[in-house]
Amino acid sequence: MEILQYSLRKLLAGLPLIVGVTLVSFALMVYFGPDQTYLLLGKNPTPEQILEVRQQLGYDQPFLQRYLGFLREIVTLDFGDASTGEPVTTLLAKTIPVSLILILPGFILGHVVGLLLALAAAYWRGRWLDKLIMAVAVTGMSVSFLIVIIGFQIVFSSSDGLDLFPVRGWNASSLGSYLTYVTVPTLATMFVALGYETRFYRSIIVEEMSRDHVRTARAFGLPESRIFFRNILKNCLIPIITRIMFSIPQVAIGGALLIESYFGIPGIGKATYEAIITGDQPVLKAVVSLTAILFVLVVVITDILYRAVDPRVTLK
Amino acid sequence: MHFLATLVAIGLVLAGCGPADGPAVSGPPLKTYRHFMDQAPTTLDPVQGSNIYANFVILNAYDTLYSYKYLARPYELKPNLAADFPTISPDGLEYTIRLKKGVHFINDPCFPGGRGREVVAEDFIYSIKRQFDPKSQPQGAWLWQGRIAGLEEWKAAGSDYDKPVSGLRAIDSHTLEIRLIRPYPQLVATLAQGYAALVPREAVEKYGKGLGVRPVGSGPFKLISYDTAHIVMERNREFRQEPVDLAFEGYAPATQSFSGVEAIQGRSPPFVDRLEFNFINEKSAAWTSFTKGDEIQLTELPPEQVDRVLASKQPVVLRPEYASKYHTLAGLEAGFIFETFNMDFPEFGYNPDPERQRRNKALRCAVIKGFDWEARNNSWYFGLGKYYPGIIVPASPEFDSEMSRISVTRDVEGARRLLSDNGWTPENLPRILYATVGGSSERLRFEQFRAWMRDIGFPREKIVPKTYAAFGDISRAWKRSELPFVTMAWGLDYPDAENTLQLFYGPNKSPGSNNANWKNAEFDRLYDQTAVMLPSPERTAIYRRMNQLVIDDCVAITGLSRTRIYLWHKNVIAYPDREILGGFWLRYVDVMPAKDAGAASRVAEGN
Amino acid sequence: MNAVVLPGVAVPRVRGESLWRKAARKFARDRLGMVALAVVLVYLVAAIGVWLGWWAMGWPDLTGTKWEPVSRGHWFGTNIIGQDIFDRAIFSTATAFEVGLIVALVATALGAIIGGFAGFFAGSWIDDVLVWLMGVLDAIPFYLFVAAVAYALTDNPWAMHVAMIATFWVGTGRLIRGEVIKLRGMEYVEAAHSIGVPEVVIIFRHILPNTSHILLVQASVMFVSAIKAEVILSFLGLGIKDGMSWGLMIDESTKEVLAGFYNNFLAASLLMFGLVMAFNAVADALQDALDPRKVG
Repeated sequence: MEILQYSLRKLLAGLPLIVGVTLVSFALMVYFGPDQTYLLLGKNPTPEQILEVRQQLGYDQPFLQRYLGFLREIVTLDFGDASTGEPVTTLLAKTIPVSLILILPGFILGHVVGLLLALAAAYWRGRWLDKLIMAVAVTGMSVSFLIVIIGFQIVFSSSDGLDLFPVRGWNASSLGSYLTYVTVPTLATMFVALGYETRFYRSIIVEEMSRDHVRTARAFGLPESRIFFRNILKNCLIPIITRIMFSIPQVAIGGALLIESYFGIPGIGKATYEAIITGDQPVLKAVVSLTAILFVLVVVITDILYRAVDPRVTLK
Repeated sequence: MHFLATLVAIGLVLAGCGPADGPAVSGPPLKTYRHFMDQAPTTLDPVQGSNIYANFVILNAYDTLYSYKYLARPYELKPNLAADFPTISPDGLEYTIRLKKGVHFINDPCFPGGRGREVVAEDFIYSIKRQFDPKSQPQGAWLWQGRIAGLEEWKAAGSDYDKPVSGLRAIDSHTLEIRLIRPYPQLVATLAQGYAALVPREAVEKYGKGLGVRPVGSGPFKLISYDTAHIVMERNREFRQEPVDLAFEGYAPATQSFSGVEAIQGRSPPFVDRLEFNFINEKSAAWTSFTKGDEIQLTELPPEQVDRVLASKQPVVLRPEYASKYHTLAGLEAGFIFETFNMDFPEFGYNPDPERQRRNKALRCAVIKGFDWEARNNSWYFGLGKYYPGIIVPASPEFDSEMSRISVTRDVEGARRLLSDNGWTPENLPRILYATVGGSSERLRFEQFRAWMRDIGFPREKIVPKTYAAFGDISRAWKRSELPFVTMAWGLDYPDAENTLQLFYGPNKSPGSNNANWKNAEFDRLYDQTAVMLPSPERTAIYRRMNQLVIDDCVAITGLSRTRIYLWHKNVIAYPDREILGGFWLRYVDVMPAKDAGAASRVAEGN
Repeated sequence: MNAVVLPGVAVPRVRGESLWRKAARKFARDRLGMVALAVVLVYLVAAIGVWLGWWAMGWPDLTGTKWEPVSRGHWFGTNIIGQDIFDRAIFSTATAFEVGLIVALVATALGAIIGGFAGFFAGSWIDDVLVWLMGVLDAIPFYLFVAAVAYALTDNPWAMHVAMIATFWVGTGRLIRGEVIKLRGMEYVEAAHSIGVPEVVIIFRHILPNTSHILLVQASVMFVSAIKAEVILSFLGLGIKDGMSWGLMIDESTKEVLAGFYNNFLAASLLMFGLVMAFNAVADALQDALDPRKVG
């Protein structure tokens, strides 16, 4: 009950954020974004037809009126149809799952492997293994994601390389084809994420290891493994939760853009990007509101999780 | 349980009978043809069919009154839903068209009882009216504006579908009368375009914009599913019986028999049960998919594979290892790319000072001389494109292959001389703003252009790039006549040079299609004169004179038609074309069942 | 993927010139850091040469034919229209420094100023508004935001820089805000306040200078982020408008690698990797040197 009340209060407190995100995104993407008029016109338009299309698209209305109309759409969750004629909700329902199953393996593996490497590095802190892991991490961080994607494509998918996996396209109709298509994107995502994740996890673990209570526990002669799980790892949970939770909106909405455009996968990142390019207002509006709402939800859930892992955190 | 089911499903797929091949359990196997397109259509509503990809798919879901013969080249029109060619009044203003009887729309909940209703003349009238209803965001109005009587008045009166249009009348349920304001020799050709497809009013009223993803037509195929990566259609089982007469379709055994099209003689299309469109933006990805064997069955050769796959470019011949597996066909696009000056800009276009205007013309001619079509063709089209003077493209019957090639031959010395003879120096040459959309190829084209212009004497800083992030933004700038230099691609709507000559017709100035904003009294007069003429040697002569006027005034750097090289699997019987014929040919595609086993075995090897 | 985490930058209680001198001493003893610094300086020399017009000026010229292999005339071969890839790669070094420096400096300054104000006025509406603004910018996925800014500015040559700066400053802003909240309570600030020194002066003269070690590390991290982001934005067609950059070369190469032509890809990605790697190492060494808890 307390949690429910708290969540509601927190959601209300998130309203200004929703207004902010929608306002900024609306101004950038919809109001100042590309003009769709000229994509919808025929090959030989007259000035009169241009005016008509602008009217149909609502470009002739003042900013405030358009923004208020947008807020109304958010409240009613009715964004209308994309320029293809497909309802925006259908579009989202089709593309978001694709992005999720595309990005999740790399996301999870990146965090898990990163954590394991960080544990090893922290455990043997200052030794050669630590140095090796950290050197590899810096190397990984220094390569551009795009270069990784192209490089992996040459290595895994081209006739000059191993030629093992399909380059582009997407087919998740069966587990087998899903695995062949998701492998290279997953490896690329992991490769780039690993450097950042390893460094991050190592730094918080090292920080925890040097705290007083850990030293005290050691002085009392508690077994290393117990200290590790009870005293160190548990205290690391809060920054870990923060990091994972706050990357969720990025992953769910924008994070897969590069992979999706390079591998030709019909996910939400590509759909949104194309909507930005073509000025497809209904799609943009839906994505923007989804982003804002998701972000506020993440904030609330993160707070609740904090409390779940550490009862000292109070929900105030 | 679910896990088990998944395992079983994987097993089935590995065994080569995945769901894409249809029910493997009982009944004859479904014949599937997997087509490739490099872009997804923006919508499937004929009212917005200006995009060639949309048009391609629309023509398979909907019927048009006329279409093109499958194999005749140059292209020839033939009746499709119309029973015959129109009866035309002596003054050329009244067309009477009879429709075939007994043709039905596909079954759809929008019709009473869900049964597809018979297609009648009123459906055509309704569909053309939609092009003049701003609410449907139409794209095809320009084809009939000022031509068919009463449409503009109908629109001005509020686009009320219950009100009649004076120029469109259904004499009876299957007879149509079209009244024109002035003769329009291209009218029948416009009726072969997706814009003019027959849409039932019930569907528009029920689905509204949703029609864009849910076509309800009377074409050879009906839609099963639609997303940004695939469209799946199935055979319209009630499609009218019209056995193929190859001789009528223009079959030329000498050049076309390799494709095996003889096998369809006397049979009624469509021949495949399932038609899949695969949209793959990168041709290289399409190539991978094509060569796998069990995915797309047709592709266009991506430029980077040209050296690997072709034994010779002129003529196009495959290397033996490819020739044993694939058919190929090389064809010029029905369209061209070209660049024009925007004559609205006084620094090199129209100038109130006649002396300056004369020097401006010399400047433009020099730029044209400095332009290197050969290099452009070699870098970007692997030397396979065809460049030629003027704006009448090879796909138009009026194309003249005998023209002087001076305007497309690089002449740096001549250009420099022309500049200095007319008082142009590096100091007084105007700045040329070269606008493109973002992207490395576009930039490189700019850099190429800049380097050529430096060769003829332009200082580097006078050729200035301007990059637009979105195509919509650069189109807006063109349409508002804000850019001094326009790079364009144009695809023919019908095989008639009028379709490209209108690009330089004065009254079509921005925001119309005359982005050059060129205005030449003689050209415009000849255009008006030919606009009402039926094809004839006389009209061709005038077209060519108009073409020469464009060249002589040095208004455009033009032009190049790209070559498309199609490859398709040998078990597919087809004669592909994505140009004028467009989506019409897919109904004639057949797939030989014997090779299915071969495809399946390749799948097994692949695993 | 662009989240910047700065662990363990704790606040030294007493600070003065000694911090910097000590840091310099520590840095000089960091062998890896010194090697990395030398590499960065080599790149900087290459860039300065370009700025002064000493070399790589022929990058736009058509000096060869399509896709020439490596030769004495063309050290990295030529591209699709016959330009020298080596010249283009070297010229791009200067572009990388320009993008990196502009974005790092402006974003750091913006982060310092906004973060400083927010921290100093913590608890008041000014802070609320600024924190709200940071939250808003954080909530929009990075590439979508950048793309939106770039499209909104259509053909503006600074669109890419503006887009990066608009997102990059937030991280610095948050750090500085936290730091300033801590410093605000310190005696010297309160003293300045009590004798009537204007708030702006307190912020800029007395508080912000004490966060300079954070700013330095932040700027170096952003320098690297900007160079990396340029590649991706160029791929999306939103990169620099006139000139040449590694991102544009890599974008060119995406079509070429499938035809088996790797020169553009290798030249740009290896040069970029060298600079980014070296700069990352310098940033790490800097951070270690400025961390007072590490024994010097």
